[in-house]
Amino acid sequence: MTPRSNATATYTANPYLPLPARIREVRPENPRVKTFVLEPADAGAEAAFSFEPGQFVMVSVPHQGEAPISISSPPGRGSGLTLTVRRAGRLTGAMHTLGPGDTVGIRGPYGRPFPMAELEGRDLLFVAGGIGLAPLRSALLACLAARERYGALTVLYGCRTPSDICFSRELDGWNAGEGLRCRVTVDRGDAAWQGRVGLVTTLFDEVDLRPERTSALVCGPEVMIRVVLDRLEEMGLAPETIFTTLERHMKCGIGLCGHCHHDGRLVCTDGPVFSKAELASG
Amino acid sequence: MPQDAFILEKDHLVPLLRRLGRDRRLVAPVRNGYGDTLYAPVTDLEEDGLDLEARPQNSLKGFFFPQRERLFSYTVAPDTGGGHRYAFETHLPEERPTVYFGVRSCDLFGVLYCDLVFLKGRRRDAYYQRRRAGAVFATLACHHPFAGCFCNATRTGPSLELGFDLQLFDLGDRFYVETGKPGGAEIVARWPAFFQPAGEPDRQAQFQAALEARGLFERKIHVDLAVGLLAGREPEGVVRRLSERCQDCGGCAFVCPTCTCFTITDQPLDEHHGERVRTWDACTFSGFTRMAGDANPVDGATERVRRRFLHKLRHDVARHGRPSCVGCGRCLGICFGGVDMARFVEMVCSFGNHHATDEDAR
Repeated sequence: MTPRSNATATYTANPYLPLPARIREVRPENPRVKTFVLEPADAGAEAAFSFEPGQFVMVSVPHQGEAPISISSPPGRGSGLTLTVRRAGRLTGAMHTLGPGDTVGIRGPYGRPFPMAELEGRDLLFVAGGIGLAPLRSALLACLAARERYGALTVLYGCRTPSDICFSRELDGWNAGEGLRCRVTVDRGDAAWQGRVGLVTTLFDEVDLRPERTSALVCGPEVMIRVVLDRLEEMGLAPETIFTTLERHMKCGIGLCGHCHHDGRLVCTDGPVFSKAELASG
Repeated sequence: MPQDAFILEKDHLVPLLRRLGRDRRLVAPVRNGYGDTLYAPVTDLEEDGLDLEARPQNSLKGFFFPQRERLFSYTVAPDTGGGHRYAFETHLPEERPTVYFGVRSCDLFGVLYCDLVFLKGRRRDAYYQRRRAGAVFATLACHHPFAGCFCNATRTGPSLELGFDLQLFDLGDRFYVETGKPGGAEIVARWPAFFQPAGEPDRQAQFQAALEARGLFERKIHVDLAVGLLAGREPEGVVRRLSERCQDCGGCAFVCPTCTCFTITDQPLDEHHGERVRTWDACTFSGFTRMAGDANPVDGATERVRRRFLHKLRHDVARHGRPSCVGCGRCLGICFGGVDMARFVEMVCSFGNHHATDEDAR
């Protein structure tokens, strides 16, 4: 496996001990998803916390334990650390009851990020399903902040229903940018929905890619990832240029607990970002 | 010729252990009131029945990686700004220099394997590291394999070439003692009265004993052959048959000296306080990989059993250069469904050798 560097982590002597982080703001994305803007409760810790797109943090919620949550904000200071969380279980349900001023615990950042330096100079295709747009948003905003380093940017986004769409305030802006296209589809529309209906793969017909100079970043439900990865390879993208980020149950995030073991790899430390070539060699 | 070798008279064993236990904790196989032999801390050598004959039911895993341990405590309190504060207080275990005496070869190998996971990866486990520091191992070579043992096939016994501080061979009325790592030489140097230099007849007797022990394994378990076969094929039929017999109890993982998977949970003590606790976990539990919203990427007993055996015989070979089975045979004893390592290896080999059909796996 190619050793891509892990970004600096705020390592303490005890790797299981979280840092308290205060919730600065909560933005509802849709009825089941909220974005939490965090800042370390200890001002000194903020300088030490840096991450790269694709990495995740272990989030502690009082009395609920921890869960891995991918980072949705771009790297760099000022914008805060944002986590976009869907209410799916006990811990995320409890997190949704928290508001500004409340504290959570964070450990990390952990995991192998998207290879942003390797992607420079290439056209990028982002393919997301539902909440899977969160880690891709981190990468996309990093590209927009250094626009000259990347070629054409395309976002294809599929959701089950219009009420599952995240970051809807930003999607129009992404469509209006130069060399930036954004297409959205839903599996099932509603009375108000005027846009496209169909699986995210139907959007591939609308885009005109240059396969040899395009890299893809994919995140979403596992079944969607499988279909999209195969489709991208059929379209002529090399397996080494297709990247996805996997979601697994994790307890430690640092390669010890065994929960995220996936065909000989640990999603927490060998991933969560893998190229299609790496997944195929499992 | 081996390392420095000595003779320890059996009459001198308890006095030696008494001295070893003065400034360090002593852990050894002890027979308890129920007749079970377990590795346990020895506090009173007269009261605690030292038992060097039976196979301890536990491995040494729990001494470095307890079945349940508190990682830290936390407090949740309202704060002046209207939100709540959430703070963490660490609790690392004390370092306790310990002599582990009478350890079987396979069990020391189990510890060395756990070291790979907890100390040699990208991140060290601070809790394991604390307990592991200052551990000295005096192993006891097996002169007769126990039922179900196959350490000859995993090359982790019945005696050791490396890893021990002291290695004892039972020669009937006396122990033949080899020194390995520095901790062993220190013990000999500190209490020289207990150790006489071994003579040529002692060396010959030790050689004979080691040779005989190797010849006494009744079952031939071809672990290397299975590892080779598994590198190139999926053991689908074998896994399906075995998974029908798995009761999802996790016993195999809990008795295994090298199974290190764990879970972490919060244990609330009251509204404002709680502890974060880590406990052993097992990949054969149906909830092991289940995520929020009941999504489960490793679903079904077949998938779980496949994952367990391939982890030990395929993925750990790729990662660490050897399978993570030490041939201790404990999974044979604990599993009433017979979903054990020896049976898995035998079934894989029988498929590989004879191109057997599914029916043969029954």
